[in-house]
This record gives sequence, structure tokens and C-alpha cells, in this order.
Amino acid sequence: MKNNKFMKRLILGLILVFFYFPILYMLVFSFNSGRSLTSFDGFSFQWYVKMFHDRNMMEAIYYTLVTAVVATFVSTIVGTITAIGLSKSRKIVREVVKQINDLPIMNPEIVTAVGFMLFYVSLRIEKGFVTMLLAHIAFCTPYVILSVMPKLRSLDKNLAEAAMDLGATPFQAMTKVIVPQIMPGIVSGALIAFTMSFDDFIISYFVTGNGVKNISTLVWTMSKRVNPSINALSTLIVVIITITLLFVNVVPIYKEKRQKEGRPISNKTFGIIATCFIVAIGSMLFALKGGVGSANPQDAIAKYGSDTLKVYSWGEYIDPSINKEFERKFGVKVIYDTFDSNELMYTKLQSGEAYDVIVPSDYMIERMRSEDLLQPLDKEMIPNLSYLSDGVKGLSYDPKNTYSAPYFWGTVGIIYNKNNVDKKDLEEQGFGIFKNEKYKGHIYMYDSERDSFMMALKSLGYSMNTDNPKELQEAYEWLVEAVHTVNPEIVTDEVIDAMANGNKDIAMVYSGDAAYILNENEDMEYYLPEQGTNIWSDAMVIPKNSKNPKLANEYINFILDYESSLKNSIYVGYTSSNAEVVETLSAEGGEFYGNDAYVPRVGYDKDEVFKNNDEVKKIISNYWTKVKIAK
Amino acid sequence: MKTFKRLTIPYIVWITLMIVIPMLLIVFYAFTKTGNDVVSIQFTLEHFQKFFTDPDFLRTLWLSLKIAFITTIICILLGYPVAYAISQCDTKTRNLLILLVTLPMWINMLVRTYAWIGILADNGLISHIFNFFGFEPTKLLYTDFSVILGMVYNFIPFMILQIESSLAKMDKSLLDAANDLGCNRMQRFLNITLPLSLPGVITGITLVFLPAVSSFVIPKLMGGGGYMMIGNVIENQFITVGEWNFGSAISMIMAVIIMISMYITRRLDKGDDGARIRKGGR
Amino acid sequence: MEMEKNKLIQFKNIVKDFDGQLVLKGINLDIYENEFVTLLGPSGCGKTTLLRILGGFLDVTEGQVIFDGEDIADLPPYKRELNTVFQKYALFPHMNVYDNIAFGLKIKKMSKDVIEQKVMKMLKLINLEGFEDKDVTLLSGGQQQRIAIARALVNEPKVLLLDEPLAALDLKLRKEMQYELKKIQQEVGITFIYVTHDQEEALTMSDKIVVMKDGEIQQVGTPTDIYNEPENCYVARFIGESNIIPGIMLEDYKVRFDDIDFDCVDFGFKKNEPVDVVIRPEDLDIVKEEEGKMTGVVKSVLFKGVHYEIMVETVPGTTVSVDMQVTQEHDISSSDASEKISANDFYVDIKDMEELNDAEIIARADAQAWSTENDEYISISKIEYDIKEEIGTYPVTFSTSNGTSVTINVFVVKQQYVENPKANEAIAAFNFFKTVDEIKESAALDTDLKTWANAQSWKLSDESDVEISNVEYDFDPDTITAGTYKVTFSTQGREFKIHTTDIAEEGAEVGLSFFPEDIHVMSKIGF
Repeated sequence: MKNNKFMKRLILGLILVFFYFPILYMLVFSFNSGRSLTSFDGFSFQWYVKMFHDRNMMEAIYYTLVTAVVATFVSTIVGTITAIGLSKSRKIVREVVKQINDLPIMNPEIVTAVGFMLFYVSLRIEKGFVTMLLAHIAFCTPYVILSVMPKLRSLDKNLAEAAMDLGATPFQAMTKVIVPQIMPGIVSGALIAFTMSFDDFIISYFVTGNGVKNISTLVWTMSKRVNPSINALSTLIVVIITITLLFVNVVPIYKEKRQKEGRPISNKTFGIIATCFIVAIGSMLFALKGGVGSANPQDAIAKYGSDTLKVYSWGEYIDPSINKEFERKFGVKVIYDTFDSNELMYTKLQSGEAYDVIVPSDYMIERMRSEDLLQPLDKEMIPNLSYLSDGVKGLSYDPKNTYSAPYFWGTVGIIYNKNNVDKKDLEEQGFGIFKNEKYKGHIYMYDSERDSFMMALKSLGYSMNTDNPKELQEAYEWLVEAVHTVNPEIVTDEVIDAMANGNKDIAMVYSGDAAYILNENEDMEYYLPEQGTNIWSDAMVIPKNSKNPKLANEYINFILDYESSLKNSIYVGYTSSNAEVVETLSAEGGEFYGNDAYVPRVGYDKDEVFKNNDEVKKIISNYWTKVKIAK
Repeated sequence: MKTFKRLTIPYIVWITLMIVIPMLLIVFYAFTKTGNDVVSIQFTLEHFQKFFTDPDFLRTLWLSLKIAFITTIICILLGYPVAYAISQCDTKTRNLLILLVTLPMWINMLVRTYAWIGILADNGLISHIFNFFGFEPTKLLYTDFSVILGMVYNFIPFMILQIESSLAKMDKSLLDAANDLGCNRMQRFLNITLPLSLPGVITGITLVFLPAVSSFVIPKLMGGGGYMMIGNVIENQFITVGEWNFGSAISMIMAVIIMISMYITRRLDKGDDGARIRKGGR
Repeated sequence: MEMEKNKLIQFKNIVKDFDGQLVLKGINLDIYENEFVTLLGPSGCGKTTLLRILGGFLDVTEGQVIFDGEDIADLPPYKRELNTVFQKYALFPHMNVYDNIAFGLKIKKMSKDVIEQKVMKMLKLINLEGFEDKDVTLLSGGQQQRIAIARALVNEPKVLLLDEPLAALDLKLRKEMQYELKKIQQEVGITFIYVTHDQEEALTMSDKIVVMKDGEIQQVGTPTDIYNEPENCYVARFIGESNIIPGIMLEDYKVRFDDIDFDCVDFGFKKNEPVDVVIRPEDLDIVKEEEGKMTGVVKSVLFKGVHYEIMVETVPGTTVSVDMQVTQEHDISSSDASEKISANDFYVDIKDMEELNDAEIIARADAQAWSTENDEYISISKIEYDIKEEIGTYPVTFSTSNGTSVTINVFVVKQQYVENPKANEAIAAFNFFKTVDEIKESAALDTDLKTWANAQSWKLSDESDVEISNVEYDFDPDTITAGTYKVTFSTQGREFKIHTTDIAEEGAEVGLSFFPEDIHVMSKIGF
């Protein structure tokens, strides 16, 4: 008996530790003064401050709450009404509706999400807040119906008839008799709906756009880089939810206690408390919303025809203060949306979304140009184009910079730990080191088909722009062999923090990320193989469907400005397209003095710039999926 | 009751629009390919052929099923004792424990999973602890282990709650009867409690297996970019590659697989003793 | 005869305390081998608790349970040589009939062929041969019941405990199962301990009945003992139907009730001890008025199938009469005739003056205002009055917000009431004023008359309410006209319930006769 009790406590204790340890861990590290997620450097509130100043986060909280509240409200009402209707419908109608209603519950979420996405795209509905809200209502309502139906089933069939017999209209019968009876089901349905909506990621991920993000999708885009603000945000959510749940659970107990003591809380008091609660949430939302759109738009509208500029760029690719400054200076609002691959950006553009400024990579610009998706820059408006570095000017994808203004540029190279990697191996093998069994388990590969094939092709001595199927096949085999020999981890941007932490010894990275890693970790060095590498550049372009090209040109000029470029390059760590900035930063006393990765290798004849080839792209994209699966 | 019946009409329109049509669109995309312009849509089975003839895609399917299966087994093995322990407590403690089990589910899945990354990373907390005790730190993050851990962490509450509720619903006089007929605690558990809680376990299995097999978030966060489960392939096709037709075909395949497994579990439930228990449990 | 049998179970001073609530207050009871013992009592009397203690599912707070000469307090249920048939049978839903019955034997690890043999024997005993593969949840209640019995009996216990096993069955099935159970008990020859709240079940099946109330045993005895010689009025009321009359035991063999002395066969009471007298309805006979030991008026005759149940009032109740003054319509219309208002004069007891507030006055005066257009009620917005706590007549004016008003008189009086010390009752009522329409429109006239007259009756000893069971009047409500009418209210007198096959007419004067041995005298309880 005693032993049993002990076992019981042990089991319960262990499972609670399992549940709460990660949450506690996150909570603790949200107060870390350092960036690390593994070592606690000291107590600080800085991530909370950062969070509250981060407009993206505040916006995400706002959208999450508004979506959850509205979706809960609508789906609860619609669900309840429908459930009541169904309970009186013919069996065949009821069964069919129930079956369809079960679909979003039974189907994998990703399938439902894909369905919504195809639906919106087919109707050419621009994705954004409304699409997200509609999708949320659509997948929340079935849960409400599911939770109300059983209550209705256990209800006396004659209640509504009795009410109407006594003179109630059908509407009165519903609101005064049926609804109060099934209230517990409605409340629990509403709670489920709120949680589903509040926590949803998968569906929101597929149906939002135009910079509208909820907390989940924001965390998703941020999760690749270590960002303790996520911890701060999470902690905040945990605290709010704990308080709410405690409130929900304690109030009935308190009510009961009061009742026992003969001082019941009147419904009126309760109503007042509830109203206060709602008003509090409402004003919070209002405050958030206020923070969201603060620029004074009148002048901008007069000058440019619109007060919003939609920018679509890479994640963590700009100093946010630059956008703020632009907003202040021009009295406009910048919607800054991010992607993490050119293909993702392209797909989104294809699905009908419109942006004013996009920052794609070289080959993608070539493709967009060839597909007539871009409009020429207004060079009159962009005098700062003259400060561009020679190495990044007039590259093959846009020889006269008619359509694009380079943003950042650099090389792709190998970052390695000089204590654990023999430099001789690197010099002898170049990219071949990714097939060196000696380093098995200590290598990161970058999850990019293009860069991986570049590595393989260069290592094999071919051009990275080859369209020879045999060469591509060889490269594919090279990669499969590499994956099998050294068992690398295939990662995306996580590699930056991981290498800065020294988690592994070898990784292929972009020079800009390498520059950051070199500054963070003294053991790391950057190596450019003699087999040649990719000289890449990302440039700002204005798509054809831009709604505000004038402001877009203004923005491009603003970014290319020395001050902005300097700030941006320091913040992001990538090589600026502004020649003077590169000089300043790499000179003695500069941020990147002595940093091998910051200044790109220029003029080496084996280095190449990517060219666009749709056929090749498809082939290597398929190959790469298979390489990953082969792992 | 005509007035009440009419209440369903708006919703019928709504689900037709928001649920039926999207599903049909998936089927439509799965069986078509676009030619050079929108007008020339051709019906084709090539997407299915592509999926089923390529060992690599089949391997991701296999991996998804395997990982989901292991996750489900672990959830049962861990969840059952927990549920049993909870059901043995008095009402007050029980409610508290159920709240404690539910609470993490209220917190965003991404956020919860994200917390594990710091713990499991190569230089993370656990490897520090290993180091401290002089063990060789092993690779934890971006392995099958971490993916399964992430899934168990996210999905085990469903299992616990389901089993617990089936245990709580059980007629206590059945336990008295078993004692009366000569069972000691162990015999009673094996002969009565366990078989009667099986419907809970089966519901738990569906609630764990389904999201596990289709998940793409946990594999990506806990398994890294190179960890491809079937959900990741779908996401990849839609978001990165832009092959919506192929993506739709895979979605359809997955939906069908899940429908079949649901059907099997339901049959299992009914064929075994579900119907009887639902009656007798009252 | 009982001496020959062995005491199988002894409860010694069993006390059970649930969180400070005493459920069993010192139970002492012996149960013998091969007995059918019934624990009888209303729900909450502790009978099930006692059974569960014996079954081993509950521990005692105090006392001992001796089973076959051994204290079994520490023996877990699965080691006790007794089995239980549970209230809702507790059949295992995941096993078929065979597996349910075989369960206990399988746990004991008996060999397969022995199990099969025993199970088949049981199925034969309960008349369910060929049911072994059936799903237990699909069987009827009676079949489930029998399987539960078989499942317990197959283990060959010395005692079978049955916890209200027939409660869930319908009446006909219950009767059948009663015989079945008794038959099974006689066939297997073991002790059955049976818990029920149904006295008929107890009387039909038991060798011995234990009547319980509030955790205490009231009486232990054979069904005949319990029925014919109830120890107190509680037992008498609980078992069968009975007329219980308070009386005085004058001396041995002589008892007085309702002012008449009767011969009886009881003795051993103190002289002039207050007692309760029981006469069972079937022991009373209706005879001609002059032949009866008592006389009375037939109040009601109900046909009950085999017999009539006739109520005869031997002593009338307490009565009061009042005057009802009926007037023609007295609505007052507003100047524009758009609304009407009406109210009645009323009497009020000077003692009830404190309770007289606006709402009470409106209610007693039956003040109403309504629109002549749509007949909808309009609220009375103003009441003006100046009523003093003195006997007298006071005007009260009711008005609507439009100024339509009516004035009535309130008579403050000292209420008269009729006392009836013999019956320990008093009754009171007021004269009252009504309109013809009000009487015609009344849907439940008796109740309305009681309300209008404010008729009340109470016990003299403790002022508790007594029901006014009769309202008599000499008018036809459908054709009533203005005038003064007498209304009489009265309480219930002494009534006897008689079961007889002879019919009597309602309202007839009859005599009641019985034999001295039909009277059973009991000590009073519950002071």
C-alpha cells in the first residue's frame, strides 16, 4: 500500500517535471542578459524591453488576439445555432453535415491548410488578416458544434415545444430555454475554439500574407536564429494563460464559498467583473493597434499616392531602426515581410501577392526579369547608386543595374574550427572536405539545393551553372555520398548560432554569416576553396505589380545611403554594397577589421555568379529533396 | 420545427464553401497538371505515379509511419501509469492534476518545442550535465530521438486525458465485484481495469498517431532541415518548390492513409468491446 | 428450532462513522446458517452500509464482525467466504455470459473442465442454458440479474449478499424473480442476506426480517411477527398498510381510543400508559350502523382490484363557517373609458397588521387594472391608505398612472377561531367579498375560497399547520348571483382505512366492527 503510494507520487512527479521543465527553462532564460540559450550570463530584462519595442512581435500579439477573439465569438455563435438547427433536422441532413463537419477535425491539419490556400489562390483572394480570420472561423466552428451536440442530445426533446406552447417565439425559445440549458457545452466549445485559434500555426502559416503574422508564424520565422525575445514572449504567454486558467478555475470555487457563507456574488457583480475583463482586453488591443500604425500619412499620400510601403526581404536582414527612420522621415508605414528562400518568395509572388520592394538573389532577379515581373528603377530618384562597389556593379543578371540595386553581397565559403580541423585537409580537398570521413558527425550542410550543388559541382571541377544532365547527376551522387560518409546535419540559419557556439567543426556558410561567426568565436576561421565558389548578391527590385513604385525608389535610395548602409552592415554582418562602407568597416578600428569573411574575394576566375535556368532548377530541386530523404 | 431546421442553412453554405470546395480543390489539383496556359488543364495520374515509384518518397512515408508509431507506443507506456495514478487520487487532487496536464497544451506548440532546442543542443543543458558527470556527450538534437521526444512531449497529454477519463468513467462496483470474486489488486487490474480502459487507449492512439504522422513542425524544429517526414515534403512542395499539383497529390495520399487508419481503429474499437463498454460503463 | 442452527455471522456493536456522520449506531445481529435474512429500511437507514461491511468493502469504526467464529475485520474481500450480487449487477461488460460466471473460478485457477462443469450447472440452475456466448450487455434486466447471481453462487460461498438486486426491474419481473430467488436459496441451501427497501419483497422471501431506521435496528423477526406484532408505529407504518390511532392502555386487555373502551389481547403495559394502536385495514369490517363497535360516515370508496379501499370518518374534524358576500360587477372605468380598475373589500386580523404592505394589500383586495382595448393588465401605480392598528374600517384607494382609481374598505377585526381540544386543533377563517365574475372565473374554487377567506388550521400543541381538507358551500358556482352565502371549512377527522370486498356508498352512515385480537397495542416511540 505504502509502496504503491510512493510509486504513484513518483510517476506523477516525473511527468510534471517532464511537462514543466522546458517551460521553466524558457522562463529562466528569458531573463538571461546574454544571447545564449545554454549558459546563463546574468539577470536582465533586456529581452522584454526588446520584445515590447519590436513592432513585429507586438503586431503578432495583436493579430493573434484579435483573430482568436473574433474567431471564438463568431464560431461559438454560428456553431451553437447550427447545432440547435441540426438537432431538429432530418437525420440524413444531420449525418451529412456531421460528416463534413468532422473533416477538418479528422484530416491532418496540413491538408486542411493546403485546402484553404488553394481555395484562396483559386479565387484570387489576397492573403492577409481576413483570410486568416476566415480560415480560423472555419476550423474552430466544427469543434464548437462537436461540443454542443451532445448537450443537445441529452436535452428533453419537448423543451422548445413547451416554450412555444407557452407563447414564446422560436427565437425566445432558443435564447431563453435551449441556450441556458446547453451553456456548459457552449462554454467548453468556446474555450476549445479560443485555444485552437490562439495556438494555431499550420493553418495560419499557409493562409496569411501581406506581413500579417500571428505569434506562431512569427516564432516559426524567428526560431532559426537564437532570439531570447521569443522566450520573453513565451513567458508572457505562459503567465497570461496561467492567470486566465487560475481565474477560470478559482472563480467558481470562490463563488461557491460565498454562496455557502450566504453572500452570493450576484450576477450583476459578475457581469461587472466580466465587463472589466473585456474592456481591459479591448483597451490592450487598442493600445497594441495604436502602436502598430503611428505614422502620419497625409503628406505621404499627397506625394506618393499611398502611405504604405510593402517590403519583402530575408529574415534578420535589416537593422529595424532603419525602417523606423524611413517611416519617420517620410511619414509612411513600412510593412516588412520576410522569407527564407528565393523560391518561397517567388511562390508567394505567384500566388498573387503584391510588394513594392523585394530583395531577391542574383539568379532569381534574372528569372524575374526574364518573366517580366520587374519594373526598371527610376535612377533619377536613386543618386546613391553611384556609391556601389565595383565588385557588385553590373553583374550578369542585370548588367546595367536597370532593375536592381545591390543590397548585400559576398561569397560562400567554409567556416571551420582551427583547433579541430587540419588546414592542410582544407587546402588539399576544398569542398571535398565534406566527404572526408575524418570529420564525420562534425559537419553542417546548408539546406539549399543551389549552394549544395554549387559545392558538389565545384568540387568535381564543373561550372556551377552547368546544364549538362550527366554533370548534375554526378553532383547528385557526390552529395549522396557526402551525406552518407560524414552524416552531416542539414540546417538553415541555425548554423550561425551553432557555429558561433562551436557546436561543430565545419560548415558551409555565406560570408556575411561567417563574418558574424568570426567576430563571436575566435576559434573559427573562414576558407574559400581554390576550386572556386559562388559570388552572390542580393539586390532590391521593384516588382511590376508594385502599388507604390515612387516610394519604393525613395526607399531604395534611402537604404543605399552611407549612413543607412553602415548601420545595416554592422547590424546584419553582411558585406555592404556601398564601397565606402566596406572600406570603413574593414579598416583598422572598423567593426570587421581583420575579418577574412567580410571583404569578398574579387576577380578570381573560378568564382561564378549564379545564372537562372528553370530546367536545371527543377532537376536539382528534385535531386536535393532526394538527398535529404536519403540521409 | 421548420424554423429551427432553417438555422442550419447558413452553415451548410459556409462549410460547402470553406470545407468541401477546398477539399475538392486538393483532389482536383492532385489529378491535374497545368499546361503552358491555364486553359489547357490535363488530367493525369503522374503525381501519384511519381510518389509511389520513387523509393525516396516512399521512405519518407515509411519514416513518418515509423516515428508516429514509436511516439504512440511511448505515449501509451508513459501515459497509462500517469493516467492510472491520476485516477487513483481524490477528486480535488484529480482536478488539479488534470489542470496541470492540460495547461501546457494551452501554450503554443512552437513555443513549447522551441524550449527543448536549448536543452538538447550540442552545447546545451543536457550535454553540459553529461560533461559534468564525465560522460561523453552524445548528439541529441536533430536525431530521431529528439523528434520523438518533441512529439511525445506535445502529444502525450491527449493520451493521458483520454485514458484517465475512461478510467474515471468506469463503474466502481465492477472493481468491488472483482474483489468479491477473489481478485487481488493485480488480478483486478489485469482482468477488469485494463480491458475496460482500452477504448480510452484507442481514442488516445488516434489522437497521438494522427498529428504525429502528419506533423511537419516538430520534425523541422527538432530534426533539423534535413529531417524529412511526409508533412515536410508537403510543406516543401507548396512553400518552396511551388509544385502544388504534386503537393496536393501527397496531401491526398496522406489524408487517405489517415482515413484508413481511423477506420481500422474504429473497427478495432467496435469489434473488440467498445459498444459493450459504452453501455456497461454507464 | 433456531437453537439447533449455528450462528454463522455475528455483528457485535457495529458503529460506522462517515466523516462525523453516524451511519450505524451500534448494530447487534446474529445470522444463522441457511437463513434468508432481509435488511429492510428506507434509503439512508444504513442497511447497505452494513452489507458492505460484511462484504469487506468498508471498515467498521467500532465493533466486530464474527464470521464462522472468526473476527474477519482484517480480511480483504477476496479472501472472505461470501459473495455479493450488486445493485446494478456489476457484470463485466467486456466478457460474455460464460466468462462472467467463470470469472471467480478462473481467478482461483481451477482446471478448465471443472470450471466448465460448474458454470454449466449454474446456467441450468438459473434457467439460462445455451446463453454462455451471449453478450451480457444485450441481455434483459432479469437475465442479467440471474447471471449476477450465478456468478456469485458458482464460487460456493457460505453466504450470498444481495444489495437491492431487484430494484432495477419492472414490477412483473420483480415478482417473478422473488420466487426464483427463494427457490434458488432453498436449492443451494446457503444463507442469503438481502437488502431492500421494498416491504413486500421482504415479506415474500424472508425467513427473518431486520427492520432498520437511522442506523438502528427497530425489530427483528419472522415476516408474520413483523406484520402482526410490529414493535412500534414506525415498523407498523413501514410494513403493510395500517390504521394507527393514539390510545391509552387502561389495564391489561383493555385499551381506550377515540373515547371508546375496547377489549384486546395485549397486556404487560403500565396502567394508563399512552400507546399506539394498530388495526390493519383488512381486519375491519363494515356493518350496519347499529351493529358497529364504532360508527362513521363513508368518505371515499376506491376500487383496488381484489378489494375496495374505503375511508370511514368516525370522528368529524374541526369546522368553521364564514359568510361570502357576492356582489355584481364593480369595475370602475376611467373618464375616457380606456381602462378599468377593480378591487374588493377585505377583512384583516389585527394580529396580521404588521405583514400588511402594499403588495399584500393589492393581493388581498385582488386589485386589478386593465386596458379595455386589449385586455392587457396595467400596473397599479399608487396605493393610498391610512390603516391604524385598531379595530375599525379604513378606506384604501388604488390608482393607475392615468389616475383611474377605486376605493375599498378594509375591516380590521379580531379574528375568531374555533378550538377543538380533543383533536388538538383550531381553525379560523374570515368573511369576504367577491364579485359574481370572480367566482365564475375561478379555475380551482376550493383553493380560491380558502385563499379568499384566509382559512387556516393549526395544532394547538405546537401551532404547526393542519390541512383543511373539506370546503363546503351551498351555491352552484356557474349560476351564482349576488347575495350572501355560507362557506364551511373543516379539517380531517379520525379516518379508518378499510379493505373489504363489500361495497359501501359514499356518504352512508355505517358501523365498523372487529375482533379483540385484531387490535395490536404498541409502546410509543420517538419522544
